[in-house]
Amino acid sequence: MASDQTSKDFTPDITVLYCGRSLAEPDSAKQGTMQTDGCRVKLVLLPCSSKMEVPQMLHLLKQGADGLVLAACPEGACRFLVGNDRAAKRVEFARGLLEQAGMGAARLVLDRGAGRDLDSLLALAQRQAQEVGPLGPNPLKGVNAR
Amino acid sequence: MKNLNAATKLEKVLTAGEFALTVEIGPPRGPNPEPVRQKAALLAGLADAYNVTDNQTAVVRMSSIAGAKILLDQGLEPVMQMTCRDRNRIAMQSDLLGASALGLRNVLAISGDHQSASAGGKLNGHPGAKSVFDIDSIQLLSVIKGLRDQAVQAGGDSITEPAPFFIGAAWTPLGPPVEFRVTRLAKKIAAGADFIQTQAVYDMDAFGRQLALAHDQGLTEKAFILPGIIVPRSAGMLNYMNRSVPGVVVPQELIDRMKQASDPQAEGIKITLELIEAVRALPGAAGVHLQAIEAEELLPEIIEAAGLRPRPEV
Amino acid sequence: MITAEWKPIEELVSSLAGYRNVLLVGCATCVAECAAGGEREVQTLAPLLTMALAKQGQEINIRTATLERQCEPEFYDDIAEAAAEVEAIMSLACGIGMQLMAEQFDPLPMLPGVNTTSLAIREEPGLWTTRCAACGDCVLGETFGLCPVSRCAKSLLNGPCGGTRENGKCEVDPDTDCIWRLIVERATARGRLDALATVRQPKDWSHSQHGGPMRMVREDLR
Ligand code: SF4
Ligand code: SF4
Repeated sequence: MASDQTSKDFTPDITVLYCGRSLAEPDSAKQGTMQTDGCRVKLVLLPCSSKMEVPQMLHLLKQGADGLVLAACPEGACRFLVGNDRAAKRVEFARGLLEQAGMGAARLVLDRGAGRDLDSLLALAQRQAQEVGPLGPNPLKGVNAR
Repeated sequence: MKNLNAATKLEKVLTAGEFALTVEIGPPRGPNPEPVRQKAALLAGLADAYNVTDNQTAVVRMSSIAGAKILLDQGLEPVMQMTCRDRNRIAMQSDLLGASALGLRNVLAISGDHQSASAGGKLNGHPGAKSVFDIDSIQLLSVIKGLRDQAVQAGGDSITEPAPFFIGAAWTPLGPPVEFRVTRLAKKIAAGADFIQTQAVYDMDAFGRQLALAHDQGLTEKAFILPGIIVPRSAGMLNYMNRSVPGVVVPQELIDRMKQASDPQAEGIKITLELIEAVRALPGAAGVHLQAIEAEELLPEIIEAAGLRPRPEV
Repeated sequence: MITAEWKPIEELVSSLAGYRNVLLVGCATCVAECAAGGEREVQTLAPLLTMALAKQGQEINIRTATLERQCEPEFYDDIAEAAAEVEAIMSLACGIGMQLMAEQFDPLPMLPGVNTTSLAIREEPGLWTTRCAACGDCVLGETFGLCPVSRCAKSLLNGPCGGTRENGKCEVDPDTDCIWRLIVERATARGRLDALATVRQPKDWSHSQHGGPMRMVREDLR
């Protein structure tokens, strides 16, 4: 039961959504769930960070993820020109909503970078796990994950 | 002398062709009449008439009717200001009849600052107030004129007898869109304005050009125009007005003079006197509307030095 | 379009207190255009409100639907079944749609999800600005197609007040054009400034909300 899980001592579930164009080697794309130091990670490959809209970000959180990272390309490096800027504005908007809902804006972040590989994606997840740690687990953890 | 509308002192001075002088007295934020009486005592005899503002910047103050009546009782002649922000045509006409009953004869119609202006500095104001703006200032002028000339209300019903008013309006000669400002003045005069007080003018060249246009259209024959002058107190104040007060244009030269002055107060008075002189030289300027914001005590000296004392007996 | 915006999230959350089954209904017309109550907003609010309530220890099941038009009864069949199974409906439609919603499923509580704000246009992406106040006595013919009733903060009918800023914006908002400046510019461009020189008499406001609720009748259609 979600509301019983008040302890801050938990293993965060972090979903990392990353733009395939931000990888060092496009063919090296990894997807799926894996365990790393301090968190469980779900990696999701996107054709562009702009494919994630606010309802989808919130939906992923509603399904129980404790934290979300949207890993986009550096500024000015989007193959769709402004896709990653759009993603940044959406993340900003969604973070505002999460804050107002009492969930904490920190559950969602945008990261800009290039030349990513599995290690750097996992490092992103670990960093996000530390950010959401103080917020405690997602109150819906386990409830909607069907 | 042409037929007088209300035979107020202001009207008589202007009609006699004397250079008129009006100043402003803002009512207090409280129920005590003493502050009004004190300002009245300080300024008695200095001007022909005294504007009493109507909840200026939308901040709640003693009503302009009450403030004007207190001045009247002190022997000063008030100009009761009336904005369109807070009252509909029913309330305004009722207040005009009441003001007339109390002996108030000069009235100045203005749109009024929006209520959002009331919140600022330390004040909460009432930005959430419902604004009325049932009629605009030009329509208010024609309503007042109807009460006076036809003894008729805006809706067409008659009143028992005419309500004599000397009707004033405000003018922002240098506000954008500048090309429309003289037309707007003409509309105010057509609607009923007998006299006009302007927004503060510092740029006498630009103002002179607008006044010349009005003069060429015969407007200065139809209404008395009193340019507004606000005594400069500091370079910062002039900068602020130049930047932030709509329709006020301050030449850089004046700002520099204030900046360099070792005694800004003396320099401000000097500039004021020069502005008054410049206004007197403009064809079509019938007087001056002089303000010293939060420094009314400077007015006696300035008025004396400008040679505007004593005021004409009419 | 009719524009609306979300009520504060906090207000929405507290209005849902105590409910376990709620239907959140959007409208695919005006409020979708202004990004307040379309399918996208329904799908944003549903998970958000679910999380906010979970955070407070309240379990809630928010079902969702978006009607083509909430202001027309014919579109309501789609949600009749769902409505029978919930304790309340939260509507994201304008005030008109919300009232029809409240009526259609009376006595089911209807929780308003938005504040209806204006009759506006989408001027650019993410920016909506007022165009009309439904005054019932249109003056656009005399103001070169620009509405001073809804777009002047003082509804002035005879030209600009003294508050127009140096850059032509309104005294009330540094980002909003003084509509009278625009009217004068358009009149000037058409060589018709003279048309603004006539004094316009007080307006008859009785054809608007000031005259009481409107009852428009067309006998030929009854
Ligand atoms: S004048 Fe009246 S009806 Fe016409 S656009 Fe403006 S508010 Fe609407
Ligand atoms: S600045 Fe222009 S739009 Fe604003 S209140 Fe004055 S006239 Fe109306």
